[in-house]
This record gives sequence, C-alpha cells and structure tokens, in this order.
Amino acid sequence: MSDLRLAVNAAAPATGEALTNKLVARKLGFRYGDTQALRDVSIDIPERRVTALIGPSGCGKSTLLRVFNRIYAIYPKQVADGEVLLDGENILGPKYPLSRLRSKIGMVFQKPVPFPMSIYENVAYAIRHHEKLTRTQMDERVEEALQQAALWTEVKDKLKRSALGLSGGQQQRLCIARAIALHPEVLLLDEPTSALDPIATGKIEQLVADLKARYTIVIVTHNMQQAARCSDFTAFMYLGELIEHGITEKMFTNPGKQQTEDYITGRFG
Amino acid sequence: MSESSNLHRWRAIKNQIALVLSGAAALFGLFWLTWILWTTLSRGIGAINWALFTQMTPPPNEEGGLLNAFAGSAVMCLMAIAIGAPIGVAAGTYLAEYANFRKIGHTIRFVNDILLSAPSIVLGLFVYTLVVATTGQFSAIAGSIALALIVLPVVVRTTDDMLRLVPSQMREAALSLGVPQWKVTVQILYRGALGGIVTGVLLALARISGETAPLLFTAFSSQYWSLDLTQPMSNVPVVVFQYAASPYESWQQLAWAGAFMLTMFVLVLGICARLILLRNRIANE
Repeated sequence: MSDLRLAVNAAAPATGEALTNKLVARKLGFRYGDTQALRDVSIDIPERRVTALIGPSGCGKSTLLRVFNRIYAIYPKQVADGEVLLDGENILGPKYPLSRLRSKIGMVFQKPVPFPMSIYENVAYAIRHHEKLTRTQMDERVEEALQQAALWTEVKDKLKRSALGLSGGQQQRLCIARAIALHPEVLLLDEPTSALDPIATGKIEQLVADLKARYTIVIVTHNMQQAARCSDFTAFMYLGELIEHGITEKMFTNPGKQQTEDYITGRFG
Repeated sequence: MSESSNLHRWRAIKNQIALVLSGAAALFGLFWLTWILWTTLSRGIGAINWALFTQMTPPPNEEGGLLNAFAGSAVMCLMAIAIGAPIGVAAGTYLAEYANFRKIGHTIRFVNDILLSAPSIVLGLFVYTLVVATTGQFSAIAGSIALALIVLPVVVRTTDDMLRLVPSQMREAALSLGVPQWKVTVQILYRGALGGIVTGVLLALARISGETAPLLFTAFSSQYWSLDLTQPMSNVPVVVFQYAASPYESWQQLAWAGAFMLTMFVLVLGICARLILLRNRIANE
C-alpha cells in the first residue's frame, strides 16, 4: 500500500500536494444471496482524483461501486462485510445514517433516469429534502449545478419543461447535475456513457475532467480507452477480487500482473 | 428439390389452416359481443327520453324514469371507490415497494388474486351477514362496502403492477440522493405510475357500476328518491334486474334504457382508461 502512495505522490507532482485517501475499503466482501460477488477487496480511493474500475462483466466492479453508497441495501439478501471508511468512519456500520452517506456520496447510473418532472425540479428535488433554501438560493443552486454539469446553456430557457424531453446525453448530464447539486464529496459513476453516442460521451468525459478539481470520482467503465483517457488511477478486478490497482499510466503501459496485461490488451474479457 | 418444395407447400397449407381457424375463433367471440351490444343499443336507445333522467322509478304500467336509480348508483359507486381505492393503493404500494421480494408479498398477492376472482354474490352474502344482518336493515352503506370489496383487489393489483413497471433504476437514482423511501414512493414513483393507477381505479369503477349480485343482498333497492345512507337505495343494476323480469311493458322499456346507459358508461370509462394509458406511454417514450 505504501508503495502505491509513494508512486502516486511521485506521479502527481503537478499539484504538489500529498494525496489523502477519501474512501478506503478493507477486506470487503459482498454476497448476493449465495453468490459471493466480492472477496477480500482492499482499495484506497484518493481524494480529488478519478479512479477507474475496469474488468470483464461480472467481475464485481459495479458491485463495489454500489457498496460505496450502500444502494445495495434496498434489496434483501445482499450483504456486505468488512469495512468501508469514508474520512475514517465506517459507512457499513449500522449507525452511519444512510441519508447523510448518500448526500456525501452521489451516484450516476448507466442508464439516464430523469424523474418524471421538470428539469428544474429534477435538480431541486433532493436539495429540498436536505436543506431549507429560499427561492433565490434554490435558483442559484440549480443554476450552479447545471453549469457544473455543462448543461445550463442548453436548458436555461426551458427549465420548466419535462426532463423526459431531453436527449439521452442531456439526460445523463442532468443526472450528474442532480447528484452534484447536493455538494457531495464523492461521485460514483456506473458506466455513465455506455448508453450514449460518441459526442455525448466526449462531453461527459470532459465533465469528469472538470469535476475532479472538486470531487473524488470513481468511474466504472467497460471502455479501456475511456479509463486510460480520464482516470488518474485504475483498478482491475476479476472474479470478485481486486487484481491490481495503480496509476493509470503505469497500469496501461506496464502492468504488474499478467492478468491485467491480458485484459487490457484484449486477450480476454 | 421437389421434396423441399413439397415440404414448403405443406407448411404453407398448415399455416393457412391455422390462420383460418384462429380467425374464425376471433370472429365467433366478436359475433356474440356485437350481437349483445346491438340488442342493447337498438332496444335501449328507443327508451331514452327526457323523463328517464328527471323522473323516479314508476309503479307498474305508469310513466317514469330512473333518476333515483342513477343517483343511487352514483352515490354507492363513488363511496365504494372512496373506501376501496385508497386502501387498494396503499396495499398495492406495500406489495410493490416493501414486500416485493419477500414471502409475505407473494402470499398477499396470491390471496388478492383469489379475491379478484371471487364471485361477487359471495361478497354480497358476506356483507349481508356482516352488516345487514347485524343492523337488521338493507342500507346504502352495506351496498358501498360490498362494492368496495370488489374495487379493492382490482386497485391493489393495478397499483402493484404499475409500480413494479417503474424501472428499478428510478428507485435507485432517487434513493441514492439520500431521500427516504416513503418520499421517493409518493413523490416520484407515484408520478411515474399515476396513469396506470388512475386507469385501475376507472376500470374498478366500470366493473362495479354493473354489479348486481352484491347489491341485491345489501342495498337492495328502493322505489323512491333517497340519499339516506342507512336506508335501502335504488340503483341501476338491481332495477334492471327487477324490471327486465317483470311482465310490464313500461318496466321492460326502462330496463332496456338502464342497460343501455350502463353499457355506454362502461364504454366511455374504458375509452378514458385507454386514452390515459396511451398518453402515459407517449409521455414515457
């Protein structure tokens, strides 16, 4: 682990700051009923960096993401064990309040799912639950979120219209706006571009690059080029285990393990 | 070559036979439906006049209308919806959102399906022993309760189905924002399922508007104008039942008129339900 930390800090001299770990998983296991989906996963997610999770279908990368905000908890028979620390606090502990966890860790899913309400309401909806804001404050928050999600100029004249009328790429940016409107600390992106065309994908990737100045981002992707393009760190998973984790550049040019090399060169998966 | 073309010809023939048989079966079903509709329309439309909506049910061989029956049916159907729909929506929500993956959910769903197909006369007798026998009185309240028991499983089923049609990603997306489950259900999932739930309520209304058996034992009927819920109350299906079986020409005419109005009501409700569903589908796409 300290190897990674050293390597990481050596590789990120541009900022000059030492990296702290925002999210830390220790000996994390996960079961769907009788199926063991994660085994003994330990991983550090550095703050304000983009970490990509890659690996073949069913390797557990989405499951890992879903543990980070405990969204799996809505289904019975899905059980996590081990520890996940957010700023040192174990979020898997029964005392950690879900509402606080999820306001700190936002998530964007594979398929854009705008709520059946106006564009404005989509963004304002969850803010209203967590904070009491005046109308002007709310307007500002909504605009800020849409600005950050690079959607503002496209929708500013139709905020009252249904979000269902937006294109797929716009809907996905709306979902990102909805998540960042809560000022989360971590953003989980679960294959956010797999349902989008190349232009919309480009916009989302640009957005990820812009957002990492403020947020810690974890992105699950099937697309090797995408992981290489927009992440600082890459974790390769296989059959529910973390095989290798390191600086993206090194992972793609000189991976430490044969399995990783086989996967990124397309020999399997 | 000739072997394979024989095979193809034989398959084409079998296809034709299947097509003709299934088409004939569809026509057979439609034939009776059209006949029923045609009879109701042709006999009923002639009996429609102004008096039908302004006068009370008459004694034999006198002129009259069905005003008290229409009013009674409206009162009891609306009360049945008012009782059955909220409970049904709540129960359907429980099934879809809280008990979906659990054994108790499957059990309740199964029992609800049995209630859905329970003969309405059984429900009528049940309410008879429960309410009429204990109060010693036929009453509109008893009638409404019996109808509500028919509304309930229909609304439970449609609410359950419609909520489960809302993609689970919608739930996950909303819950991942830290909003509690009840708020997600009420503020987001209901919005997505609203068209379907309203349709379910409309279909339940259509179903009870023509139910006769449960009312015979509960609200019975009344010749007079009465909106007193503790008294027997006139209603269209029971009046149609009594008048159609009577030997009096004027009563038979009124029975046809009542049947016609019921049919039109159900038809209009059916079309409304379709339109709502269609609009919903377009909005979702």
